[in-house]
Amino acid sequence: MTAFVLYARSRVLPATLAVLLGAALAAAWSAWWLQGQPGFDHAARVPVVVLAPLLTASAVGTSLYTHSDELDRTAVRPWWPRRLSHLLMLTALSTALLALAVPGHPDAFGAPAMVRNVLGATGVTAAAAALLGARLSWLPMTVYTSAVYLAAPSVPGGHAAIWAWTMQPGPQRAAWAVALAAFVLGVGLLAARGPRAERRGM
Amino acid sequence: MTTSVTVRALTVRHRRTVALNTVDLDFRTGVHGLLGPNGAGKTSLIRVLATVAAPAAGRIELLGRDVGAHRERAAVRRALGYLPQEFGHYPGFTVREFVSYVAWLKEMPAARVPTAVERAVERVGLADRIDTKMKTLSGGMVRRAGIAQAIVNEPELLLLDEPTAGLDPEQRVEFRALLRDLGATSTVIVSTHLVEDVAAACQEVTLIESGRIAYRGTTAELTALGGEHGRDSDGNAIERGYTTALRAHRASLAEAAR
Repeated sequence: MTAFVLYARSRVLPATLAVLLGAALAAAWSAWWLQGQPGFDHAARVPVVVLAPLLTASAVGTSLYTHSDELDRTAVRPWWPRRLSHLLMLTALSTALLALAVPGHPDAFGAPAMVRNVLGATGVTAAAAALLGARLSWLPMTVYTSAVYLAAPSVPGGHAAIWAWTMQPGPQRAAWAVALAAFVLGVGLLAARGPRAERRGM
Repeated sequence: MTTSVTVRALTVRHRRTVALNTVDLDFRTGVHGLLGPNGAGKTSLIRVLATVAAPAAGRIELLGRDVGAHRERAAVRRALGYLPQEFGHYPGFTVREFVSYVAWLKEMPAARVPTAVERAVERVGLADRIDTKMKTLSGGMVRRAGIAQAIVNEPELLLLDEPTAGLDPEQRVEFRALLRDLGATSTVIVSTHLVEDVAAACQEVTLIESGRIAYRGTTAELTALGGEHGRDSDGNAIERGYTTALRAHRASLAEAAR
């Protein structure tokens, strides 16, 4: 029974990995099915590219919850390197799995758009874990995604590339800039501060 | 005996309220009781000594090291045991896994962990439940698992916040014996609102009220204070001593305020 196994179990990492894998399989199947519908082409994969990263980011965010916050604070080693590697490893895995789920058409809603959305969603969720607590960390990104999904214009680019970055095709630079900034800030904030302490039973 | 805890002008704040107000304290090897009404500042003091909360002002020296410095704090934490009033635990862990997890937090050498975990669990009388999942344990058993994690690294400084909450009378008697045993070599600070725990297990008593030290003395002195005043119907001698000391402190504060 190694320390790594104890840490992984205390952060429900086995279940989180199962969710990541399940999300990737579901995304691959949905993308394939949507493209195959009469009158639809690869552009019909938008919902997959927007929703699958939301699901994996939520799983990653809630895995940051610790049941033993008060005892964890007495740890001899600083927590930030562990939190940082926890986030980076899970992000790398979600990115790789989901990128494989949408093959082809990198200039539209393919792997590049998927990678960008995974990074952005994970960043927003990590920031939410630092500010709201890990168990509610999925909420802001879910609300934001729902709003943008309904409000984003059908023509990409312009201001929408910034405020509706999740709905942009792969090569939009502004959308990449927003997603990367969210990732760096969110991961940095979470690593430095840790998930906000939540009182149990409240 | 050396002084293992030195606290000078310690002030702790929770938002705008002052939990501890310029407190000076020293603790040596032995078992020390921390008594006081609810909200007096006992938990604040324990949390600051456990290095999980930062003071607003003051200096804290634990085991001869200033905990303000990062490297020193890490060294202190290796030799520290802490039972919070409410400690969380991953519900899927067994007692063995939970105590091993804390041993890992304390950076105990991996080769020593299995034996240390078994010994700690045995000392709190949970050996027959060591491979039981934490979520299936009763409240008293969870509390004992909590005590086991606090002593797994054989701490030089042990901080226990309401350790007897949820223990039945027999377990409390056994726990007090464990405290006396631990106090022979370590500094043990027990925060409690149960005066009888202090009478049975502690050599010295510190009484805190409203963030200030109301009384310090040996358990025998506090009991003697109760013997001089009041009747048996007002509780046993140490309970009367507790009340007398608290009222004397309030009277002196009122006098000073006039």
